[in-house]
Amino acid sequence: MRKIMMVIRREYLQSVTKKSFWIGTLAFPLVLLLIMGLAVGAHFLNPESERRIAFIDETGQLAANMVAALNASDENKFKDGKPRFVVEAVPLTGTSEETRRSLEQKVLDEEIHGILVARQDLDPNAAFGLYLKSVGDEDTGRALRRALQSAVVQLRLERSQLELDRATLDSFVQPIELKSFEVKAGGEATEKDPGVAQIGMLIFSMILYITLFIYGFATARGIIQEKSSRVMEVLLGSMSHNQLITGKILGIAAVSLTQMIIYAGTAWAARLYIMLKQDPQRFSNVLELVAPGRIIFFLVFFLLGYFLYTSMFAIVGAVSNTEQDAQNLQTPVVMLLMIPYIMSVFFVKHPDSAAAVAASFFPPFTPMVMFMRISVLTPPFWQIALSIVLMLAAIWFMFRMAAKIFRIGSLMHGKRPTIPEILRWARS
Amino acid sequence: MTTAVSLANLTKTFGEHRAVDGLSFDVPAGSIFGLLGRNGAGKTTTIRMIMDILRPDTGTVTILGSADALAVKDRIGYLPEERGLYPKMKLTDMLEFAGSIKGMAVADARRAGAQWLDRLELGAWKDKKVEDLSKGMQQKVQFISAIMNKPDLLILDEPFSGMDPVNQEVFKDLILELNRTGCTIIFSTHVMESAEKLCREIALINHGRAVLHGPIAEIKKKFGTNTVQLEFDGDGSFLDGLPGVEKVHHGGHSAEIRLAQGADHQAILKAAVGRLVIRHFSVVSPTLHSIFIQQVGLEQGGNGNA
Repeated sequence: MRKIMMVIRREYLQSVTKKSFWIGTLAFPLVLLLIMGLAVGAHFLNPESERRIAFIDETGQLAANMVAALNASDENKFKDGKPRFVVEAVPLTGTSEETRRSLEQKVLDEEIHGILVARQDLDPNAAFGLYLKSVGDEDTGRALRRALQSAVVQLRLERSQLELDRATLDSFVQPIELKSFEVKAGGEATEKDPGVAQIGMLIFSMILYITLFIYGFATARGIIQEKSSRVMEVLLGSMSHNQLITGKILGIAAVSLTQMIIYAGTAWAARLYIMLKQDPQRFSNVLELVAPGRIIFFLVFFLLGYFLYTSMFAIVGAVSNTEQDAQNLQTPVVMLLMIPYIMSVFFVKHPDSAAAVAASFFPPFTPMVMFMRISVLTPPFWQIALSIVLMLAAIWFMFRMAAKIFRIGSLMHGKRPTIPEILRWARS
Repeated sequence: MTTAVSLANLTKTFGEHRAVDGLSFDVPAGSIFGLLGRNGAGKTTTIRMIMDILRPDTGTVTILGSADALAVKDRIGYLPEERGLYPKMKLTDMLEFAGSIKGMAVADARRAGAQWLDRLELGAWKDKKVEDLSKGMQQKVQFISAIMNKPDLLILDEPFSGMDPVNQEVFKDLILELNRTGCTIIFSTHVMESAEKLCREIALINHGRAVLHGPIAEIKKKFGTNTVQLEFDGDGSFLDGLPGVEKVHHGGHSAEIRLAQGADHQAILKAAVGRLVIRHFSVVSPTLHSIFIQQVGLEQGGNGNA
């Protein structure tokens, strides 16, 4: 036990006193903040930049209603109450087609943000068009579609010659807000933003994927370096193979856990800051993202995944003589890691499908798929428990394999063993 | 006399290759024991089985009274043939780690490491990384890491290979000093001269089997005093053809001549005088080197691949 502790201590101190550890630890949240900052910052960098939309309105009756509909929603206003979109009807010069052509240069010059076209016939499939410099600008499309929908309904109602007063008309065309709630067994259904759940799942899956890979490969590299620097046999002169590999895996686990706790601590500090100093209502999305339950499940599945994948990477290290060997041999392990990452992106829309449930019980996939499912819905308790039990069994099995292969591979130099040879070692 | 290490019928096979084949010998406690043999004779495999780094296919190892090497590893110092250190670690950290995995308290290991570095004139380097050291300095650090836990048994696999003469002397003195305090020393080598100088007992192994085993004095007695050491100026090639000569190991201006049973060494001297300028003539026991060559040669003759 003491020897294992000493190996853990060495691994830990060697890693956390390295500059690269801290650069890596700090770089990830910084990059993440940068990405989020860029996304959010688009609003903050140019706070008052309204979007001017030229409206070519053949009917001549839509523009006013549309502006009213746009202004009816707070989403389309800046904090100071000014409108986000300024829709200006432009007089036709020739056909609407010609008018649009004449305006296109202004879009390219960014004098106006876009051109909206509505033809006289109001054909739902063909009459409307939005011309933008970049069609990636989803916000503008969504906001204008909703406002235009209202304006068109209003115009149709007016044309239908139904006798309606203004208030009734307005109530007909008022767009609705549809909120998402998550139903929980034995609890109050809670409002959840599906966007937040998805983004959260993607961020956490990415952290899982990257850290499992980095620390797994670090384990393989550590073993290879001990082999190539010939320090391996010196170590084995002082302890057993099992003590050495156990200490190594636990030592790097402690390093990775340190990093995870720094991340979780940062997230919780941000959470605390928002709750105490900011309006929690406004930042409810961020609060939900770093909810304690989510962080705890993340740490649990991170650790389980860590031990399973590190055992696999330890096998890669034990049978490799150079990092080049390890790069080649790690491919199946990286595949096992990549498949659930991609899966969880697809399964997020169907977290309760038979395939998703089955995948969450397959230990190499469990950390990512089960965590994804927990992120977007609350799976039955027995499913979470079963997935953890299966993971523990898989870890036990994989660790024993790793220890056996390590016992033989640790002093092998020269020719790399073939797969059948490795399997024979594992059975020995 | 008690026994520090006892091997009984040890066998180890790698694939088709039988590296160790029914090997048995005892290492008396307090002795300096040489495990001799050519490269590939099975020395390292034997040592790894003694250390429980490899498991024997059959046979048993008893080490410091225990059947389980793991239980007594803290009392053993081990310098493997392929020795290494963590290149990125500072010397003091490296030795602290090496001592602590041998059961020393961390603070004790650190202090002992620093003392040893001072004693071996590496004190100025103690905060440097291992990779910044010359090869000779690294050998010193490796040696310290093997002996800093004051072992009862020190196992050295080819300790002098690749070592400069100055370091060889330093380590030889250290080995003798440790032995005087009661530490049993096993070392393997294919260099017979160093074994002859240091060891009291040897086991000579070839093809994984013990060819000779016992105290050097007894082994030499068995081979008799039928060897002539000759130093001279001139061409000594005619020595091979003299009557009664069994084998000549030529050495430029010297020769070691093994005589047949009952041959007269004075006849050799008479034949040499006049043809060579004799500087030195003595009748001795054969050196370990020639015993080694004779035995291994016989072995190979017996196997038909000489």
